Amino acid sequence: MKILQVYRSEPNNDVKTLVGILNRDREADEFNLNVENPDYDQLVTKIFAADKTVCWW
Amino acid sequence: MSADPNKLAIFVTSPQNMLHVIGLANAAEKAGKKPMIFFTYKSIHLTKDPRFKVLAEKCGEEDIAICADSYTCEGYDAAADIPAGLSGKQMRTQAFHGALLDECGKYIVL
Amino acid sequence: MESLKVYILVANRMYNDGIRSGLGLAVENHYAFPVIMNGEFPSFSTYMSENIAWVKDMEGQVYSCGAVAPDTCVDEEGDKLIAEISLQELGEAMRDADFIIPYGLPKQTNEPPPACAE
Repeated sequence: MKILQVYRSEPNNDVKTLVGILNRDREADEFNLNVENPDYDQLVTKIFAADKTVCWW
Repeated sequence: MSADPNKLAIFVTSPQNMLHVIGLANAAEKAGKKPMIFFTYKSIHLTKDPRFKVLAEKCGEEDIAICADSYTCEGYDAAADIPAGLSGKQMRTQAFHGALLDECGKYIVL
Repeated sequence: MESLKVYILVANRMYNDGIRSGLGLAVENHYAFPVIMNGEFPSFSTYMSENIAWVKDMEGQVYSCGAVAPDTCVDEEGDKLIAEISLQELGEAMRDADFIIPYGLPKQTNEPPPACAE
């Protein structure tokens, strides 16, 4: 199971805790949308490489 | 129907992510993938963004829709004011979200 | 069609529409688990309470994470319709989810004005 965590804003402690549990014993990747010019091409590549994507608020 | 591995579901629930929706839809297309998009609740205000029509035409009638109830709840007229780029058939219910889950190999919320 | 397990997380008081969205999936034969985070509860209108009860009837559950479940949303017997779940339990439960949907906007850091506080 490969899981991708995407952040639309700075993750709070709840999100960090949940991500920690979700990523446990799994191959995990992340992508930050909360930047000036997100690389959407890279995001698409990451989404299609992952089994599951979670995009946090 | 089994999920199409080349189809990307984009479930839009926030009214502040138009750049991400367009950026992701364009990048998906460039990568040879097909976006399928559903706008619900307050994200339906994005239909009033002039870029929405271009996005709708790019996706095609079967692969983009909005929640008609949300549109009405937010004060718009779902009968007389269908958003530019959509037809009445694309004014849908939450069942379209179910279709996104069923038909798309990959999924993201914005 | 396979029934999917879907968690819808609501962190912002204005986005309890995530419960209706969950109900929409429940009627499509999926298992819906809307989760209201940190006490960001809606007003429990008859419509909202009925939706919460309906999610439960469809083998889903509306949860409260980080706050006591309100006693203003109850079934005909007076039992609470919203169940409580800890952050740890939620994380463990979501490992088994097919989809996790953080819905709408993040929690606001400022207090709402009277115009929209209720």
